Amino acid sequence: MNEPNDQHEQIAHIPWYRHRLLHLVIGSVTIAFLLVLVAMALYASSGSAQLDLSRPGFKSVQDKVDATVFESFPASGEVNAEVLDEFLELYDKQTKRVDSTDAFSENALKNEALGIDAP
Amino acid sequence: MRKIIFSTVFVMIAAVAAIVPVFAKDRTTMTDEHIEHIKANCRVALATLGRIHANDAPQYINSNQIYFSVGDKLMARLNSRLTLNQYDASDLVKTTSDYDEALKKFRMIYKAYDDTMSELVRMDCQRTPVTFYDRVAVAREQRAVVHDTVVELQELIAQYREQVEEFKEKHFTGASDE
Repeated sequence: MNEPNDQHEQIAHIPWYRHRLLHLVIGSVTIAFLLVLVAMALYASSGSAQLDLSRPGFKSVQDKVDATVFESFPASGEVNAEVLDEFLELYDKQTKRVDSTDAFSENALKNEALGIDAP
Repeated sequence: MRKIIFSTVFVMIAAVAAIVPVFAKDRTTMTDEHIEHIKANCRVALATLGRIHANDAPQYINSNQIYFSVGDKLMARLNSRLTLNQYDASDLVKTTSDYDEALKKFRMIYKAYDDTMSELVRMDCQRTPVTFYDRVAVAREQRAVVHDTVVELQELIAQYREQVEEFKEKHFTGASDE
């Protein structure tokens, strides 16, 4: 009848058992911290950071993201000249949105533009 | 034993002496006047860099989204439709594959450029003007490479369109003339 009490007395002297609540809290916080480090590493390495406009310094440009729905072309159906004309019309309409070969021009970072050229 | 130790130490010193000038050459040599000029314009330069960095982000997001959609919702779907109808679309598939590779390269290169710009806008160019100047040069080169991949993507978009026109000429325009 006294067996459960005997077992409890046997393990009660083990240090980790006496402080098990403390160990639980420390262990949980450590695991959570490690998982946060893993998540941040994935965020930085996967390219997600470059798509995140909630980063500091980007609040003013959040409204510049184009939210227009991209019209897609059906992947099945017959193929004829008319279908290809429809495709080309859709293709031209969508690709016009990125027809900007001046994007990311290096001129913006020239020393003269930044005022750090040799005097 | 002593000879071995002395020779080893001598070889190590010689190796270090050979390497140090190579690293020394990598740093830009600047006049004091130039350094003072950079320090004087530090705030303006950082503000400009911050604006460029902020404006690049939506440009990248919009471009990335459209380039991905062109490949996934237009090119891949037409290729699939042609293949299902038992047409030979190997040229179009090859161009689509090249386009996907170019898009991956665009994302990878932009990420490296964005990391450099993020580092630059946090830099203290008053304390480290030479390092700041060198990092701006690196950012400029990376931005040029991003620009080159954008040009490559535009060329592949144009190439795919031409191939679709040729496909249409080959399979349908001739048939309608008969």
